[in-house]
Parts: sequence; structure tokens; C-alpha cells
Amino acid sequence: MKFRDWIKTITFYEILLGMKETIKHLVHYKPITLQYPHEKKPLAENYRGMLALLRYDDGTEKCVGCDLCEAACPSRVIRVISTEVPGEPTKRYAKEYYMDMTRCLFCGLCVQACPVDALGMTREYEWAVYDKRKLHLNKEQLLAIGDRAFPVREKQLEFQHPNVAYFNVSFKDIPEKAN
Amino acid sequence: MFETSLRLALTLTQIGVVMGIVLLTVAILTLLERKVLAWMQDRMGPMEVGPYGILQPVADGLKLFFKEDIIPAGANKLLFSLAPILSLVPALIGFAVIPFGPNISVEFFGVEFKPFVISDINIGILYILAFASIGAYGVILAGWSSNSKYSLLGGLRAAAQLISYELNVALSIVGVLLLAGTLSMVKIVEAQGGNWFFGIIPNWFAFALPFPQFVAFVVFYLASVAETNRLPFDLPEAESELVAGFFTEYSGMRFAFFFLAEYANMILVSCVAAVLFFGGWQAPWPFLQFHGSLEHLAWLSGIFWFTIKVYFFLFMFFWIRATLPRLRYDQLMRFGWKVLLPIALGNVVVTSIMAYIFPNS
Repeated sequence: MKFRDWIKTITFYEILLGMKETIKHLVHYKPITLQYPHEKKPLAENYRGMLALLRYDDGTEKCVGCDLCEAACPSRVIRVISTEVPGEPTKRYAKEYYMDMTRCLFCGLCVQACPVDALGMTREYEWAVYDKRKLHLNKEQLLAIGDRAFPVREKQLEFQHPNVAYFNVSFKDIPEKAN
Repeated sequence: MFETSLRLALTLTQIGVVMGIVLLTVAILTLLERKVLAWMQDRMGPMEVGPYGILQPVADGLKLFFKEDIIPAGANKLLFSLAPILSLVPALIGFAVIPFGPNISVEFFGVEFKPFVISDINIGILYILAFASIGAYGVILAGWSSNSKYSLLGGLRAAAQLISYELNVALSIVGVLLLAGTLSMVKIVEAQGGNWFFGIIPNWFAFALPFPQFVAFVVFYLASVAETNRLPFDLPEAESELVAGFFTEYSGMRFAFFFLAEYANMILVSCVAAVLFFGGWQAPWPFLQFHGSLEHLAWLSGIFWFTIKVYFFLFMFFWIRATLPRLRYDQLMRFGWKVLLPIALGNVVVTSIMAYIFPNS
């Protein structure tokens, strides 16, 4: 046994085995590379991509400015300024709606929190930009993303979480204790 | 006067052609290395520039050419700019004695010259070894003059490694010199013509009687891999430990010079291995000399076989690189001094005994 080991050492037996393995991969060449910009991976059905604001079929915005998405967001991406709809004191809407996508971690909590289903996650993901400020999106931009990603809004009920709103109150507006 | 200037012009043309071929081979090698490595690792390698990425060397060259040339603050300016040249020139100058094709003389307006070897000097192999040692200065000076700790560590490693392994390179070819009885590269190749053992085995020094030098060839090849700083012996430029080793601080054309020197050294080592151990331009069997009865085309098959052998050894560089991880520093030193050196010395002893007993076989 000792002698066989010695023979193996001086003939570089293990190294030759390794070289056989590498040449095998060269001869049976099957690359696993995906040529990314030319070929793309198929996305999952419930892929969580770029966020978008949605409209009803008649073109009116779904968002009622309730701020629940802002409360649910763990990264404080969303900023909502809501007001009454002019002339209709019982209805509210988001006058301004900002999303700072540089901070978004695509968890989807805002979509689950929305009681009127006004937020959606599209399947877009190539959002690299040269200027970081371009990722600070306003309401018009978010609506435009929604219009091009969901031309016909269809609810995918099988992927919808039961409509549970997540309230994240741990940031600043915690009421002071009485004593 | 006319004869002298014509001889000068012919020699300069030869040098230009050989340099052009070597630099073209370097360009091919940079692509081939990335491709071969990628194929062995189930990747694709460069695919974007040109069809299947074949124009990648052009893109790389342009990029390096137009890059900013930075000399770091605190660097020794003279030595910093001298070091790349000191490592590139010895790598290219060795090709002067490599015979690329058959040893034929051509007469051109009364001037005789050998088209396939620039200068057939009678100490050819010694000349290559001497210039290879000067190449080590380039690496060490680059490491020292950069004023950077990574460069300095790389240069120090290079100093120790190059000296230890040059010894093995020189000792492993002593057997060949004993059998050939000459130092001239052309005469060494000419001594390897023909076949033995009923014409089956080519009479190359790696397989020839009285004592096959195959073990010496393995020692020579491993020591050469170490001397050209290639994986698995690339400690002077170990990128996971020393950023890029001795050329960490270099950029642009100076970096390109080091790159060229490394690849030119690889080609030179492959040429020397082909010439000393595998019969240079000699075909393995006479029927594989495809020029047939056209004797004036013998140089075509000679150059073909030489190219095949050189490219095989270059492929071996990539193959070894794809297989083996880098050695630790003490392993490298132990392998050089305790394994390769005794084998090379033993080979010298056995070869001299055999050459003494069977002087004419």
C-alpha cells in the first residue's frame, strides 16, 4: 500500500485525474451561461418587480390616499399627501404620491396593505439609471408604469394574500405613555 | 558596402517578421486562454466583441493603449518606467535563436541567409537562459519601485521563486545537451531526426536512446510554468492575496508590456520545450511530412509541425491552470528544492552514465 501511494505520487496520478476531469468538460462542452442582455430568464408567476399605481377601467385612479401603504413600508419608500376630492367632501385621493425606489426592497407589503388594490407589482426589473434622482418617482410616473404594465387590470386571486393590512407603527408616531 | 546593407536589411526584416508573429500569437493566446478556461469551466468566455468574441484582443489592446498612464506618488520614476521594458525585451530577444523551420540557406543577391532562424549562434540555449534571468530583474524592480506593499511582496516572492526554478530549468536541459553534444538550437534539432524501434518511436530526445529524457521534460515544463509566473505557481501576482502582485500600480501601456512579456515568455518556453525535447520542426514519422516529393516545400511541413508542438504546450499551460489551485509559498519552495532539483540532478547522473556506456546510439 505504501509503495502504491509512492508510485501515485511520483507519477502525479491525482493531478492527472484532475486534468482528465477538466478535459472532459472541454470535450463535452455544455455551457450553463445565459447571455443576459440577449437571453432572459423566465420570471416566476408572482415575480415582484417595479411598483405601480393602478386605475379603474374607466381611467380614474384607484388610490384613496389612506396612507396605509406608507405605514406598512419597512424602508419608508412611500410618501402620500392626501386631500379631499374637490366638491365631494366624502371622498379623498392622493394629491401627491412619491416613491423613492432607491430604498425599495420589493417586499410587497404595501401591495398587501392597500385596501382598494391600488398598488401593483409589475414584472419590470431593468431599472438601472445613471442618475439616482431618476428613481425618485412621482404619481404620474407611477401611474404610467401601471398603465403600460397592466393594460387590463386582472386580479390574480391565487397569488393574492388575504387582505390583511400591516401596520408598522414603530417609526415615530408612537403615542407617549400617560404617566 | 552593398552586401553589408543588404545583410542588415534582411536581418531586420527577419526580426520584424518574427516579432510580428510573436505579438500576433500573444493576441491569439489572450483570447484562447480565456476561451479554453471558460470551456473547461462550462462557461462561454468573451462573446460580445465580434462573432464568438474573436475580436476581443483588439478591444483589449485599444483599451490598454488609451488608458491613463499613472506613476504613483513616491515611486522611483526611472526604475518604474524601466521595469516593464526590462521584462519585455528579454522575453522577445530569446526568439532570435529559435529555429522555426528547416535549416536551409537561401542566396539573395549574393548574400546567404537562413530564413527560419534569425541567428544560429553556437551557444543558443545558454543565451536564452541568460536573458531569462535578466527578465527577473524587471519583475523585481517593478515590485520595488512602485512604493506599494503589495508590489514589494510580489517582487520579493518573484525573486525567490525565479532563482529557485531557474536552477531546475537549467539542470533539466543538461541531459539533452549531453546527448546532443552541442548548445546550438539548430544542431540540437538536427540531432533528433529519424526514428528508432523499427521506425515506430521518433528519435526525439524525450523518447530517444540511450536514455529518454521524458522525466527531464516534465521537470523542465513544471519549472518553466513556475518561471513564467503562471498558475499554479503564480505567487508573485497572486490576485487573491496581493491584488495583482508586482504590477499592481501599473496601468495603460506599461501594464500591457508586462502582459506581453508574460505571454511572450510562455511562447518562448513552449518553443524551447519543442526544440529541446520534441524535435523542433521534425515530423514524428516520415510519412507525416506532407510535402511529399516537393523538396523545396519541406519548410512548410517543418513550420506546421513546429507550430503544432508549440500550441500543444501552450494549451498545456491553460489546461494546468484550469485544473490546479495555487500552491502555498512553502509548498512551492519545497517542490522546487526537494522534488524537482533531486530529479533533475539524478537525470543528469543517469544520462551521463548511459551516454558514456552507449556513446553512439
